[in-house]
Amino acid sequence: MNEPQLSTDQFTESNNSIPEDVSDSSSHGEKYLTFHVSNELYGSEIDRIKEIIEYGAITRVPLTPQYLRGVINLRGNVVPVVDLAIRLEKSINPVTKRTCIIIVEMKSLDGEVMDIGFVVDEVDEVMDIAHDQITAAPQFGTDIRSEFISGMGKLHNKFAILLQMEEVLSIIELMELVALESKDE
Amino acid sequence: MDDDSQQMFQQECSDLLTDMEDALLLLESNPHDNDQINAVFRSMHTIKGTSGVFSFDDVVNFTHVAESVLDNVRSGKIEIGGDLIALLLECMDHTKILVQLAISEKNITAEDKSKENELLTQLNGYLDSTKDLKEDNSLQEQALVEKEDIDDAVDSKYWHISVRFDHEVLVHGMDPLSFFTYLKKMGNIISLTTIHDQLPLNEDFNPENLYLGFEIVYDSDAEKQQIEQTFEFVKEMCVLYILPPKDSIARYAEMIHALPEDTMRLGEILVRSGAISMDELENALQLQAEPKNSKNTPAPLGEVLIDKKAVHEEVVDAALVKQNQNQNMSKSQRVLRVDAEKLDLLINLVGELVIAGATTNMVAAQLGDEKLLESMSGISRLVEEIRDNALNLRMVQIGDTFNRFKRVVRDVSRELGKDIKLTINGADTELDKTVVEKIADPLMHLVRNAMDHGIESAQDRDNKGKSVQGNLELNAYHDSGCIVIEVKDDGKGLDRDEILKKAMEKNLIADSQVISEKEAFQLIFEAGFSTAAKITNLSGRGVGMDVVKKNIEALRGTVDVESNAGDGTKVSIRLPLTLAIIDGFLVKVGDSSYVIPLDMVHECIDLSDQNSDDKEQGYINLRGEVLPFLKLREYFKEEGPESTHKSIVVVQQGNYKAGFVVDGLLGELQTVIKPMGKILKDLRGISGATILGSGEVAVILDVPNLIQRATQISHRDTVNISNRNSQTLH
Repeated sequence: MNEPQLSTDQFTESNNSIPEDVSDSSSHGEKYLTFHVSNELYGSEIDRIKEIIEYGAITRVPLTPQYLRGVINLRGNVVPVVDLAIRLEKSINPVTKRTCIIIVEMKSLDGEVMDIGFVVDEVDEVMDIAHDQITAAPQFGTDIRSEFISGMGKLHNKFAILLQMEEVLSIIELMELVALESKDE
Repeated sequence: MDDDSQQMFQQECSDLLTDMEDALLLLESNPHDNDQINAVFRSMHTIKGTSGVFSFDDVVNFTHVAESVLDNVRSGKIEIGGDLIALLLECMDHTKILVQLAISEKNITAEDKSKENELLTQLNGYLDSTKDLKEDNSLQEQALVEKEDIDDAVDSKYWHISVRFDHEVLVHGMDPLSFFTYLKKMGNIISLTTIHDQLPLNEDFNPENLYLGFEIVYDSDAEKQQIEQTFEFVKEMCVLYILPPKDSIARYAEMIHALPEDTMRLGEILVRSGAISMDELENALQLQAEPKNSKNTPAPLGEVLIDKKAVHEEVVDAALVKQNQNQNMSKSQRVLRVDAEKLDLLINLVGELVIAGATTNMVAAQLGDEKLLESMSGISRLVEEIRDNALNLRMVQIGDTFNRFKRVVRDVSRELGKDIKLTINGADTELDKTVVEKIADPLMHLVRNAMDHGIESAQDRDNKGKSVQGNLELNAYHDSGCIVIEVKDDGKGLDRDEILKKAMEKNLIADSQVISEKEAFQLIFEAGFSTAAKITNLSGRGVGMDVVKKNIEALRGTVDVESNAGDGTKVSIRLPLTLAIIDGFLVKVGDSSYVIPLDMVHECIDLSDQNSDDKEQGYINLRGEVLPFLKLREYFKEEGPESTHKSIVVVQQGNYKAGFVVDGLLGELQTVIKPMGKILKDLRGISGATILGSGEVAVILDVPNLIQRATQISHRDTVNISNRNSQTLH
């Protein structure tokens, strides 16, 4: 209901932060972790990422939206795992030896910190991307929801889509979707 | 103000305010209870002191006035009564607000400020009245004292001054000796006893400190005020009691309570208080030493003194209470305050231990090594004990929660103009702290409901031949691994017909539906249901009972109503003792494992034994009973391999039963309930998750929700079938 409003709020917030960083240190960059999902290269700021674990022992939770792959036991805590391919509306690749779960720390609106995992086909590498190597998200040309993209990072001779993790793993949106699915009869 | 001291301040104030509330409520029934007056004064005084330390001036200023009034009450200048108690209760509430504001560093709202001014005006009213009285009262007092003399006053015709200086008084440049010299100018010091009980005998002794107290019997014509002025300079640094000649025994008793000395011999206390003379005591001691009436056991000193009419019984009782208190104090010092977070961490770790133990057990069973299995079983037993003990740490008595309702009952019954008595049973019943916190709100609602809708007005009660005073009971007791909390009133009870009528109006049930009494009463927990014809301030808005039920179910509890029209209503809440660890029953559906709380599992039956006709419908015939069932495989859209040998797990919650069709039964296990996190908290049919011995996560089923689901589905099917049947019949 108020979901679009919430996401735009967050979007403007994140938009503000990027120019600031640029003005601070235009030549310096930040470290990004790049990974493959559904044959495309994506990146996320490294300081958000807690750990990368081997894919396995995911428990499906019944009556949840499809993009929620299930929950895992992370050293005694139950952590939900999102299927990034479905969230980005891409096709799912079968699980291989290289499939991983990346655990990130997300903050909900009331400041509560929680871990969320997402499934990627393969982790690529950690690299510095200078700010001047990041261009704004293209208006056209990608089929991913524009608020999911924080920019396009140029590395060597290819591009990585840098994800706006607050949006991709927005706790509020995920909660609403779960509640919606759960009420659906 | 850092977090720690803030938390301590908040904790201390809330404890003190609770004490004060309890004391005030006790005073209401017995206004002459000096202990309680002192308790109220002490609480107010300590709050003022602590707030002063943190320089919360608003709190200090307000509590100072209240404290002054209480001081006058203590000294007997102000008579305590219903009005003053009501005022003090309001002051207590206001202090609570001020403390909250001080902590959150907010400014007082205009509304609260005007309330404060109103309270201050009333308090000052009491203070002024004492000033007016002071002058012309001394004569009257004298007369009164003489009148009461025969029964209530002690025989001593001298002043009694009791003073305990702070240890630092010498450091501050005060010399106690000078006060006594000054006293001599106004009269004669008949006797002066030095109390050296606090003198440390070991290396704690600090030669710059004063450890002495003094009991002075003083003969003077001076006014009390003049004697008080002697001690003006050390007023803040000592505990001072000045008792006029022939003062009442109660005052002496009060002083005995207030003196800081530890367990001391009864006789000594009495002598120090000046209630009896040294000679009288010596006589009494001699008597005690001799066998009394040829009995071999010496009679307790107190009895001897009373026998000799040397002291009044009341004074002896007070001294005895003091001794008992000293004993209690040593007991309470053995209680340790622990940060709740530390406890949670411990419980979490124990949870991990339980899981790790399960894993090791599994591995040991696979290896089949006899010795290993044996030592594992030893460890398992220990783990179980550690688990129980750790959970026990978080157990608190429900009494504190119940006591809060004394005030509620008092306020609400005044508001409603009803006379209602609250009885509390089983206040020492223990349950998990987290449960206690969450049960307070639902209980509040039930109590208010009972008072507002349940208990009739005094006149109605009289007409019905009931006692005019309504009775409300809060009971708590343990019953087979659960705690049961009851809210019971002797009011008019629930009217089944009215409930049904209302439910039909609100389309909660169909006209034709046949409903048992139990089911009818459960309707009051439906959203939007309210039988009260008029909405009052307290209840009847139709939001509430459904919330009560929801809250209780969120604690994995159930709520039941029993009622007899005219005789009253009893609402029973049944809660698990702990939220952290349960015994579970593991079942397999497709590839997934699910946990059903074991205490809800009634039995397991083979589905293949059942009549094949029934299987297609939403219910089976269980020994002549209709049992609706839910095929978990279809309901949860599981896709794994389907078993050819399915079972039905019959679950029961309250009076409702249903079956879950599963692919396999895997047995019992101890499970630690893990929160599923924010994202998954609104899931229907699932109440949480747990971690199995293998390290995998398993989902715990929300049985009440699923039973409801099964009943609905089967009901729908039954209606369809009966429609079909009726068509074929005609």
